[in-house]
Amino acid sequence: MKATTMNAVNVASNPQLEQGRSLWYDAYLRIKKDKVAVISFFTICFYLVLTLLSSLGVIFDNYGVVDNSLTYLPPSWDHWFGTDLFGRDVLARAVHGTKTSLVVGFAGTGIAMAIGTVLGACSGYFGGKVDDLIVWFYTTIDTIPYILLVVAFSFVLGPSLLTLCLAIGLTAWVRHCRIVRAEYIKHRDLDYVQGAAALGASHARRIFLHILPNVFHLVLINFSLGFVGAVKSEVILSFLGLGVEPGTPSWGVMINDAKQELFRGVWWNLAAATLFMFFLVLAFNLFTDALRDALDPKLKNK
Amino acid sequence: MYSSWRIFFHASIISAICLIFAGCTNSCSQKVSDTDSTLNVVLSANVKGLDPIYANDTYSNAVISNISETLLEYHYLKRPLELQPLLAESMPEVSDNGLTHTFKIKKGVKFHNNEAFENGIGRELKAQDFVYSWKRLADPRLQADGFWVFDGKIKGLNEWRDKVSAGEADYDTPIEGIEATDDYTLVIKLSKPYYQLHYVLAMGFTSPVAKEVVDKHGKEYLNHPVGTGPYKFANWVRNNKIELVKNENWHGQTYPTEGATGDEEAGLLADAGKTLPFNDKITFHEVTEAQPRWLNFMKGNYEYMGIPKDNFDSAIAEGDLTPEMKSKGVQLFKTPEPDVTYVAFNMKDPILGKNENLRKAIALAYDTKTSIEKFYNGQALPAQSPIPPSIDAYDPNFENPFKKFDVSKAKEFLEKAGFPEGKGAPVIEYSALTSSTARQMAEFFKQNMAAIGLQVKIDSVSWPQLQKKIKEAQAQMWGIAWLADYPDAENFLQLLYGPNKTPGPNGANFANSKFDELYKKAAILPPGPERTQLYQEMRDIFVNEMPWVPGVHRLGYYLRHGWIKNFKMHSIINNHFKYLRVDAKKRAELKAKL
Amino acid sequence: MAKFIIRRTLYMIPILLGIALITFLLFNMAGGDPAAQAAGKYATAERIEEIRTELGLDGPLYVQFGRHVQQMLTFDFGRSWATKQTISSMITSGIDASMSLTVPTLIITQIITIALALFIAFFRGTLFDKTSLIVCLALLSFSSLVYILYGQFSLAFNAGLFPISGWDPSWVGRWQYLILPILIGVMLSLGGSVLFYRTVFIDQLHQDYVRTARSKGLSDNVIMYKHILRNALIPIITVVVAQMPFVIVGSLLIEAFFQIPGLGGMTYQAINNADFPVIKAMTMIGAILYLVFQLVADILYAVVDPRVQVR
Repeated sequence: MKATTMNAVNVASNPQLEQGRSLWYDAYLRIKKDKVAVISFFTICFYLVLTLLSSLGVIFDNYGVVDNSLTYLPPSWDHWFGTDLFGRDVLARAVHGTKTSLVVGFAGTGIAMAIGTVLGACSGYFGGKVDDLIVWFYTTIDTIPYILLVVAFSFVLGPSLLTLCLAIGLTAWVRHCRIVRAEYIKHRDLDYVQGAAALGASHARRIFLHILPNVFHLVLINFSLGFVGAVKSEVILSFLGLGVEPGTPSWGVMINDAKQELFRGVWWNLAAATLFMFFLVLAFNLFTDALRDALDPKLKNK
Repeated sequence: MYSSWRIFFHASIISAICLIFAGCTNSCSQKVSDTDSTLNVVLSANVKGLDPIYANDTYSNAVISNISETLLEYHYLKRPLELQPLLAESMPEVSDNGLTHTFKIKKGVKFHNNEAFENGIGRELKAQDFVYSWKRLADPRLQADGFWVFDGKIKGLNEWRDKVSAGEADYDTPIEGIEATDDYTLVIKLSKPYYQLHYVLAMGFTSPVAKEVVDKHGKEYLNHPVGTGPYKFANWVRNNKIELVKNENWHGQTYPTEGATGDEEAGLLADAGKTLPFNDKITFHEVTEAQPRWLNFMKGNYEYMGIPKDNFDSAIAEGDLTPEMKSKGVQLFKTPEPDVTYVAFNMKDPILGKNENLRKAIALAYDTKTSIEKFYNGQALPAQSPIPPSIDAYDPNFENPFKKFDVSKAKEFLEKAGFPEGKGAPVIEYSALTSSTARQMAEFFKQNMAAIGLQVKIDSVSWPQLQKKIKEAQAQMWGIAWLADYPDAENFLQLLYGPNKTPGPNGANFANSKFDELYKKAAILPPGPERTQLYQEMRDIFVNEMPWVPGVHRLGYYLRHGWIKNFKMHSIINNHFKYLRVDAKKRAELKAKL
Repeated sequence: MAKFIIRRTLYMIPILLGIALITFLLFNMAGGDPAAQAAGKYATAERIEEIRTELGLDGPLYVQFGRHVQQMLTFDFGRSWATKQTISSMITSGIDASMSLTVPTLIITQIITIALALFIAFFRGTLFDKTSLIVCLALLSFSSLVYILYGQFSLAFNAGLFPISGWDPSWVGRWQYLILPILIGVMLSLGGSVLFYRTVFIDQLHQDYVRTARSKGLSDNVIMYKHILRNALIPIITVVVAQMPFVIVGSLLIEAFFQIPGLGGMTYQAINNADFPVIKAMTMIGAILYLVFQLVADILYAVVDPRVQVR
């Protein structure tokens, strides 16, 4: 059950290159064979393209068009998912909501990965006092209930898209940090790192240029995992009134509005947001699963 | 794999049994008793505690008004509102200069039985209880929410308050302005004429509490209220429900025998002369989410409720109930609310405060009619000024020239303001609460302003954050509403009186010396044409300056089931529960069909 | 063992201090002026000053931090800004309701998911396994709000199977109101939990001891029960213990929608009202509970598996 990475590292003379190539290529081959993973991957790409095109105004540029005579139209050929209170096309809003979710997902998780990787690397690599301090810090953060921590951050920073990214980024890094730290502890004494030290590589060089490529697959897996969490957090925070600035399309806001619209028979806002979120999150979930299998079978059991 | 199958199998069977059992017990226990006359009332927010001196919200007041009583109350049916004695034997004797008000207290009024009293038996209410309770209202250490009703109005009260702060006085120190000359006589001396005094004596803040009970519970009185009212506090499951039971020793009242025009036809006088209260129990359900509130009402679990914005379409069509609702026996009650919604400008703001034309341009650009369709289901009155209908000085024919939705005129004013087509205009920040509806209203405002080229940034804030911003004069513009405390235009105009500026109620920091002068003049005038004249002059100054964009005067829409009788509502009257009658037989019959 | 427990307990002290520091920084910066709020709609500058003094908001920072730590240690969090009730009484009156929702949810979830996961693990690699995997992930991909809104609307209102919302303080009467919320709670954690246990069991099936047991001719039954379940106890403890703080803190949305007077609904209200003392108290209590249960978990590990080093 030992990961192949470990063996590769021990044997190879220039480990990060060779091992890197084989690991990534191997993973690519495995994912390629997995039909579900391929479909998920293309679903995610589809969302990305959708976001890109809609942000550029190529498609669904009508998301902000207000027509107060069209309030709450049910789904029809003109409006596949009907219209909302201000007569705006719900489908267009859902498509543009993708952007909010992707931004929160990528930026929020990106921040978390950056913090987690840097802190975890320093902690694992240096050990000693630095390690104690960082472990103390993340254990403390970890004890605080996640949703309350995010809420507190949102109150401090005031609701906006940036706040959402920061709040999620500043709170979601602990798990990743812990894993990275464990990996760095394993790697710091290995031959290739010692060798680099003998050749006069600085600490920063050893941490980021030598070891990081060898643990980067973990960043990728955790990113994918964190992404799903971030998207779901956005919905909950919007529901609590701590979401994006009013007027910005967001699935969370659509679901939040739906809690009052549903029982008047307006189900399309909820349906559109739920479906869009469902397929994105499902695709990410399935892809993460495949990615994990492909990159690090051992991690699955954690 | 036989065994894991078995675990799974058992688990499923157990869950299935649970489900069936649950379904059954539930539908079996749905049977409604036809003798139980509990009145079920739904509150859309949690109650904040049952101490009258803190009861500044509708929800807490609704509960407290059944437990505690006031000297005066409003007649249940008559409109316009009319005061009548409740704990007082009769309306007070007022001296010629209007400064001394002498009340005779009803004899034989007893507090609810409570272990704080000798032998656990509620003692008689005395004039001294008012003196004590009002000192409590003024006690600086208690920070009562209702002190404003007496602040600066009663001889010696503010001095007493200061002395208590300094530790030089206590509850035994007499106050010149509030004196019990004997057990049943209460004399109030004012430091200046205060024609709203009788109104505030009908507000929950001024209801008497018993010293024995307060001494026993201290700050925890808010969970152990004892009063003289028709219902006694029984139980409070916090975040869920409050139960009150009938007070058998109540001093008693009968259902009114006369009402406003139309009341007789509406069947509101059918119970005339009958002994109050009608129901043995009241349960207040605290339900903060809209969906369970509505679904429960539709199942008949609450007797009546205000219609939430988003349920309007499913219940009302063209101002009347839908046939579907009618077939369920649901009835509709409409009443104008004595309130005004508005968007306030901070007059201390360097951009908005100095630029009258900009404010007028914003007012002209706001499409009130569409906002009424969107947010009030087409059922509200566009507000021309702060003064709502059913209050003196309200003139139904008055039109505010800047309240007409007119984009081209708005653009004209924007140009006059120095921002042709919005060029050079800074982005204005509009503070809005985070709830769905408040957010949607803010979005609508933003859309309206965009149409004339003005950019608005919406600042989402929680209620305490908004309060802080307003009170520190940091907010630029915000949406808010004012519901009358009592039926007098003064209650609305004080929102614009200069000396009331932040952190006072004049959040807009409006300061106009002419307005203030008129306000001071009107404050010491008795109700009458002269005072109304002054109020209208103040209204004209408001229109000239536009420190607010007045929004609407709302229309209250209530749905009620067929089994609830004597239903009439007014936002200022909050002790209406004793008049409502549940027809338990009819409820059992109708509820079974829902 | 005693030494181990003492050492683990001492280790909690710096973490507690960290919790105090972080909550203090966050909530002191979070804004919202309790004095402005408490002064009400007819506030005057004078009254706001009075209230500041009354609430102890006027001291220097270190004095306020001292008060904050004291609150955490004595569990006396003062009074809520919104409800004016003492926070400690709000918490004690809510625990009971929260736990009658969360404890059955946790137990039912564990039983059902362990059974399901064993079943799926047995068919690992087949189409059935793959399909279950996708179904689980699909269950995870809905927002929890959708389950709540839909469950209440169709199961309770349209189908009339359950009461819409409500509560009865008596131990017998409350269950009719709890069944739907528990069902929804189980649905919410079903997907994730099954996935987790499936991985655990598959991992165990690959272990050497299973092969040895098989070669000794033991039946699948015995292997499953005696070996795999026992060996999977550590991950199960981990999961259950990690959930304990939430068992006590309750479920924000489910409680709010079903009128269950627990701590979750209370926290939800506090967030809506920006009632910082309550949010702060719940944050600290959640953190402390987590710490305590971590300690319990560590002790349990040692009990369950003597191989775990008692350091």
